[in-house]
Amino acid sequence: MKYVWKKILSCIITLFIVSLLVFVAFAIIPGDPALSKLGTNATEASLAAMRQQMGLDKPIWERYLNWLWGAIRGDFGTSYSYSMSVASMILDKLPITLTLMIFSMCIMILIGVPLGVYASYKEGTAIDRVIQIINQINMAVPPFFSGILITLLFGVTLKFFTPGGFVSISKNPVGFFTYMFYPALAVALPKSAMILNLLYSSLNGEKKKDYVRTAYSRGNTSNAVFFGHMLKNASIPTITFLGMALADMIAGSIIIEQVFGIPGLGRILLTSIQNRDYPVVVAIIMLIAVIVIGVNFLVDVLYKLVDPRVGN
Amino acid sequence: MKKKKYNFNFILGMILLALTLIPAFVGLFWTPYNPETMDKTLKMAGISLKHIYGCDNFGRDIFSRIMSGSAITVAIALGTVAFGSIIGTIIGALTGYFGGILDEALMRINDVALAFPSLLLALVMVSLLGSGKYQVMLALGIAFIPSYARIVRSEYIRIKNLDYVKSAKLAGAGEFRIMFVHILPNAKTVILSSLMIGFNNAVLAEAGLSFLGIGVQPPDASLGRMLSEAQSHLFTNPGYALFTGCTIVAIILGFSLLSKEVK
Amino acid sequence: MKLLHVEDLNIEFHDHLIPETVVFDFDLDMDEGEIVGLVGESGSGKSMSALAIAGLLSRHDMRKKGSIVFEGKEILNCPRGELRSLQGDEICMVFQEPLTSLNPVKKIGWQVEEALKIHTRLTAEERKKRAIKALEEVELENPERVYDSYPHELSGGMRQRVMIAAAMIGNPKLLIADEPTTALDVTVQSQIVELLKKINREKKTAILFISHDLSLVSQLCQRVLVMQHGYVVESGTAEQIFKSPKEEYTRRLIAAIPTCKELDEDIPVGECIAKVENVNVSFTKRNGRRTEPIHVLKNVSFTIHQSEIVGLVGESGCGKSTLAKTLIGLLHPDSGTVYLEDKNPQMIFQDPYGSLNPSKTVQFIMEEPLKNLTKMTKKERNALSLEMIEKVGLNEAYLSRFPSELSGGQRQRVCIAASLMLHPKLIIADEPVSALDVTIQAEVLKLMTDLHRELGLSFLFISHDLRVVHQMCDRILVMKEGQIVEEGNREQIYQNPKHPYTKELLMSAGLL
Repeated sequence: MKYVWKKILSCIITLFIVSLLVFVAFAIIPGDPALSKLGTNATEASLAAMRQQMGLDKPIWERYLNWLWGAIRGDFGTSYSYSMSVASMILDKLPITLTLMIFSMCIMILIGVPLGVYASYKEGTAIDRVIQIINQINMAVPPFFSGILITLLFGVTLKFFTPGGFVSISKNPVGFFTYMFYPALAVALPKSAMILNLLYSSLNGEKKKDYVRTAYSRGNTSNAVFFGHMLKNASIPTITFLGMALADMIAGSIIIEQVFGIPGLGRILLTSIQNRDYPVVVAIIMLIAVIVIGVNFLVDVLYKLVDPRVGN
Repeated sequence: MKKKKYNFNFILGMILLALTLIPAFVGLFWTPYNPETMDKTLKMAGISLKHIYGCDNFGRDIFSRIMSGSAITVAIALGTVAFGSIIGTIIGALTGYFGGILDEALMRINDVALAFPSLLLALVMVSLLGSGKYQVMLALGIAFIPSYARIVRSEYIRIKNLDYVKSAKLAGAGEFRIMFVHILPNAKTVILSSLMIGFNNAVLAEAGLSFLGIGVQPPDASLGRMLSEAQSHLFTNPGYALFTGCTIVAIILGFSLLSKEVK
Repeated sequence: MKLLHVEDLNIEFHDHLIPETVVFDFDLDMDEGEIVGLVGESGSGKSMSALAIAGLLSRHDMRKKGSIVFEGKEILNCPRGELRSLQGDEICMVFQEPLTSLNPVKKIGWQVEEALKIHTRLTAEERKKRAIKALEEVELENPERVYDSYPHELSGGMRQRVMIAAAMIGNPKLLIADEPTTALDVTVQSQIVELLKKINREKKTAILFISHDLSLVSQLCQRVLVMQHGYVVESGTAEQIFKSPKEEYTRRLIAAIPTCKELDEDIPVGECIAKVENVNVSFTKRNGRRTEPIHVLKNVSFTIHQSEIVGLVGESGCGKSTLAKTLIGLLHPDSGTVYLEDKNPQMIFQDPYGSLNPSKTVQFIMEEPLKNLTKMTKKERNALSLEMIEKVGLNEAYLSRFPSELSGGQRQRVCIAASLMLHPKLIIADEPVSALDVTIQAEVLKLMTDLHRELGLSFLFISHDLRVVHQMCDRILVMKEGQIVEEGNREQIYQNPKHPYTKELLMSAGLL
């Protein structure tokens, strides 16, 4: 339990550092948000008024503290370009991106884990080699290209879905989830190749360990050694990988939303970056940080459950 | 048996890289057609002897565009790797070897940076620095520093506790001689294979940024930007997307096959 | 009927183009309740033979010929299913490294009970009872707590007891112990040997004891087989082997056991060249938010004179290596003074594989101190490295080699040569021979005594092996938990030890 509290504390500290770095980085970018909002022919007086309204006239530490206090209560300020609350803009799109992430996480595990275990179980056979070759190729396909390939195969050729035909969950729940399956698959495929590879090589590594020999010397069947002894040990590095995979999946989702025309977080992030709408960018980055750090916290706790050596 | 397998991976990797990198290199100086010249008569032309990959929606020769596009992609990836790895190696070597408060502080920041996917980090960097090929190189380079630094740091921590480093100390070698003459050559394999993985990640990240339209800007065309162009004509001209995408896959696959052999 | 009958066992590897035989025509007979020792140096094929008997050699690139009959049943190359019913039930095995041989993520109880789960139909409760009893029988204190522990929470000796308990839980007829004490401290070693004796006495379990340590084998075994390069070169009762060995190799092995023989001549001791006074060293250990100091060295004082070999003995973790590091200046003491006459003291480390930089040639490694600390020209450096490499019994050809091209003994010679480059008066040797095979060990020790005699070198000789120390050293320091508990010349320490810890060490080594 002490371990968990310690981890929570370190998560909060990390989040704090992230918020500081991100806020300062975007606050010191050259360029005047008031100027870009009012246009180049605004008078000096109206600019000053605007700066005051936006809170830009205060020193940076005060702005940071104000922003932090707001952020803790869920208020991330107002968008420069849309004059609406950043929080409501994000909350609107968050469920879409979260669905995509959770979907792809599940698909990744469902494809990668069983195949990795199976390939290692069949190490050295023809089926193992076939899996390895396909996996090697799969690993080299970037998610946006796998998205294009999936569109070509399932959308254009087989007509399983209409490319660009995104429907929101409120209008057509079934349509929404059917449509989301394809982008999720595109994000998950390259990652499933990595988890397959990792599980495969850590299982093969376990095979050479001394305790495996001990297990055989007690009369275990090879199945009992493989599933009863090795699998839990080999899953330890895989669990660490899950945390990292999730971070990459967020990046993958941002891109894949463009391929499939999904109005999620990725799209607001991109337009905000192009419009230099920094409150939105900062808020989305902080949100991603919270998700990533939160999942890594869960991974750490899971890790502790699997590996008794951690945290003592 | 083992020897044979080595050759298979190695040869396949070399073939893939030769097929992609040689045209990319040639594409720096010469392409069969000007990659930017539009020809209405050739709009969406199919595969022919004159245009081996066909033409795009503006009638530009796809093969020429892929040649110059991969040149830009590879150049950016190389620049990224060089920048990120040199600075990352120096930071990793210093922090790993000396440890202490500086190490603690830098590693804390590193942990934070590593929690983010490098593409997202690069996105933030690009939004700070602006778009364009040099900005992308710098942004990706900075985004990749933490991962190199961490790899090099852990190698240095592992090696600095070995007896031969103690022997070198007893033989009067100074700190910098130990760091760069005694330790660095032994960290070489790990650094080399992380360079190859880093190169692949850089290709992916550049292609990703440019695909999103915030990387390389026109008139420069990298593979990622071409793929996003091709995507809008997926129904009418799927060849453009397929050839461009397969070039990216071939580069990455080639390097990952080679990096397997480095280990 | 014999318990175990092995005839013409041959083991071949087929993973290279030319098959490589590692065991030739291995014969062995064992009766019930007998203890047989299998002795040989690394690569002699002793572990391979043992693994074949335990049915644990089943790699696809391996061929086994001959026959292994256990209780009248042929078990070599028999189907795995039949073999399984014996493994863990009739034939059990204990391995060298107890930490890696236990599954790190399973509780001790689970692992001790495993054989019962496989071979019996006992209920969970009965199994637990048996497991606790088995843990009691291997003399573990607090067996209930051990039952609920994980391997990393136990000490090395406790883990090996757990391994034995897990092996003995099914009351096997044959226990194969593959170097079961090699990874352990001397005092723990002798406890494990005593435990094996007790098991053999009380349960009539036959034990096949594999070891490189002849003195250990002589304490335990009734019969001994000596192996070299895959062949059994000699076999007989323990007494025959030790008192009247027939084969040359056996004689060499026995001669290589560091015996308590005197050095031929004593070299006159010169003036003091190293002096350590009231040295204290501590590390800070972070325990949550609190930091607490751990005192590794407490008030250590001693001197070393010219042409003297001083032995430092103690078990792992007692502070021996910390003392060595403090002496040569890699660590700074909290208090106390260290005086050394050599400006650049040299050290030889235990692991010859870690102490030479793998990416540099022997010549580079040897000339490193000259480059950094002297103004010698390249020619002078080359001449000196040639002189020193010949002094340690190697030749010019070795200068251009990389460490990976050398054997363990050759590496240790190179380390010694490198330490001679600055003409030091004192060399600190931290367990310089404990990673080497016995015959190589004897050669390196002879090299060190030769250099001592020829150059008037002094050594601080750190070792856990009391026999080696007796053979090498004029004066001995005994260390326990960071303190020097006894100091004296060889006769005093070995004939008339005062401190109880010294006595315990000598008893474990069979010297008292």
